[in-house]
Amino acid sequence: MGSIKRISKELTELTQSPPEGITVELVDESNVYEWRVIMDGPEGSPFHDGKFLVKLSLPTEYPFKPPTVSFATKIYHPNVTNDDKGSMCLGMLRADEWKPSSKIAAVLQFARQLLAEPMPDDAVEGRIAEQYKNDRMRYEEIAREWTRKHAC
Amino acid sequence: MSASVTASTSLPDNPRPSRLRRFSHLRTYTLNLSSSLPSGQRSYIHSLSSRIPWRSSNSYSISPTANSTAIPCPEAEADHPPLSRYTSAPAPSYGFGIELNSQVSSTDSAVSTPSSSTPSNEVPRTPNSMARLRSASAVHRPPPRTLERATTNSQESTPSPEPGAAQENVIGPTSAPADGQVTPSKSETKATIRFFPYQDSLQSSRPSLPFIPVARTLPSESCVIRVGRYSERDGVPHPNPTEPSDAPVGFKSKVVSRKHCEFLYVNGQWHIKDVGSSSGTFLNHMRLSQPNMVSRLYSIKDGDIVQLGIDFRGGEEMIFRCVRIRIECNRSWQQQPNEFNKNTESLIKNLGKGETADYSGCRECSICLGSVLRPYQCLFMAACAHVWHYKCISRLLHSPDYPMFQCPNCRAFTDLNAEVDDSNDSEEKREKESTEDRTSNDSGEQLETEGPSVVETNNSMEGPPEQLGDLAEEENLVNNVESLHLQDDQHTDDTRSSASPAPNSSTDDLVRSATINIPGWQPTQPLSVPSGRQSQLRTDTPVRSETSDDNPLTPRNDSGPLAFDGRAGMP
Repeated sequence: MGSIKRISKELTELTQSPPEGITVELVDESNVYEWRVIMDGPEGSPFHDGKFLVKLSLPTEYPFKPPTVSFATKIYHPNVTNDDKGSMCLGMLRADEWKPSSKIAAVLQFARQLLAEPMPDDAVEGRIAEQYKNDRMRYEEIAREWTRKHAC
Repeated sequence: MSASVTASTSLPDNPRPSRLRRFSHLRTYTLNLSSSLPSGQRSYIHSLSSRIPWRSSNSYSISPTANSTAIPCPEAEADHPPLSRYTSAPAPSYGFGIELNSQVSSTDSAVSTPSSSTPSNEVPRTPNSMARLRSASAVHRPPPRTLERATTNSQESTPSPEPGAAQENVIGPTSAPADGQVTPSKSETKATIRFFPYQDSLQSSRPSLPFIPVARTLPSESCVIRVGRYSERDGVPHPNPTEPSDAPVGFKSKVVSRKHCEFLYVNGQWHIKDVGSSSGTFLNHMRLSQPNMVSRLYSIKDGDIVQLGIDFRGGEEMIFRCVRIRIECNRSWQQQPNEFNKNTESLIKNLGKGETADYSGCRECSICLGSVLRPYQCLFMAACAHVWHYKCISRLLHSPDYPMFQCPNCRAFTDLNAEVDDSNDSEEKREKESTEDRTSNDSGEQLETEGPSVVETNNSMEGPPEQLGDLAEEENLVNNVESLHLQDDQHTDDTRSSASPAPNSSTDDLVRSATINIPGWQPTQPLSVPSGRQSQLRTDTPVRSETSDDNPLTPRNDSGPLAFDGRAGMP
């Protein structure tokens, strides 16, 4: 399995020099395909101070197939589904957008960036996107509240 | 080769003989044209003759020959007076010479005797027209030698790219002769677009109409590329032009309207417009207009998917299939020698050289993240000069899309079945040869006056191709050696950061290629292996490779691209 080699390489890299606000570990040491990621809410966003548990799962075909990113912690965000899956819509993770040369670190950084700057045009939660666009105050208020409730 | 030709060959209900007939017909036709016209006008035949039917609706019935002979003159003169002088000479000879060139370079003897075999009227044709074209070009070369010298570099670049690559490189090289004299750098900005077949494996299980990649470089910005159903009445299905051309693109599918859509280049941006097709033009799945309505302009970008029509009757038959096109535009910089691919080339060159190689700047395989710059492992380098371990990349190579390969790093498409650039061997020799050879060559004088197109022609036609080639390229060689040294010095640093080709280096490189005389054409470019390969890889593919080999619906064209040179069926 070539993928294991690459994944462990990326894991090592990420644990040794983790990007800002992101820590990674394996859910189960014997399975490199399931990652547990703790993502700090980026400063300046309503998610600041929150710690979000993100599940990253890698297909066995990785890196030819994109990983999937889902928020185990509830989050009020236009690009994260507001259900128990909490799947995140990342452009670079779509099957036709994915490039094998993208690394997990980049994916996670991108995801975190998305917390700071939601992309309402690519939203999976239309209602939140609407609110984000039209009533930013209210959006931030709720997002902060959710962060307090779920992510602290 | 034009898409129309392509499409026609790929039709299942087109048994071989008839295909051949058609080709020979075309062949004769083209030949007639070329012989009946002064060579100065010949370069416009393709665009004009085929353009006419589009323009005047009632001209469909006119026989193609009548069309093209009658109309080109006024238009050619009126439209492109400045172009005609320079394009005319190189252009005609490229048309056929190039194709020949890449594939026939080994079979020189037969090629040089045009009239040797007439029975099939296939084989002799190519050499025939080539010879004629060649002499024509010799005659028509602008006499002043200084001019000649100045353009040599850029012009050489045109012949070299064989069928497919030529289309690509048309931008820089071909246009250079046209207006390069005045503003060398300007020629690099010619608008070029390529159409690839696109198989939407995610959304549709049914393959779309296969066709050979089509490339167009606009002769001038006001030109329009018309796309519609291929029709024999529509005039000459011209080869994929190596010179700038706005020749219409035809697809042999019933769901494509005769006038389907148009591609325009406006303000530095490519646009598409539905011109009243009945079954629709779709840009990234969005229909541009109601049936039979003209749409507004929609801007398109690299990687966009354009679909013409919708599968009819389930698309069981090839002729009822829609056409899905992947657009490639603004990629021309990638085909030029650039910082990235030259670095790669020099790195690869050092592989396995033991201590002389410097692995400190190890580059990684984007699949396994391991270093590719260690000797003794199997590597694969795509035309874009990205490198992976063969093991890592192999599953992308042997995909359903084979032989089209998309670079996972930069998304550039490569045609893996493209003809191999065997001129590389001679490159090596050339490198070793000293530059003094240039003066000692007897035919040097002639070569220079005849111009680059002849250089290439000679390459494939005559005994000592390399000598001739050498001459013409000496200058380039020198320049390349120099620039390569520069590259070598930097490469360790550069490569660390250059996991992907930096697009912004493009302009820089383009400019440099214009000023330092790094030729825009690859195959014979002495030191640039990656770019050379690239142009080769990006050639037309024989039709049979457009879809997987086991697709019973797709007839095979075992003769390869040369089939369109009228050589189809020849053993």
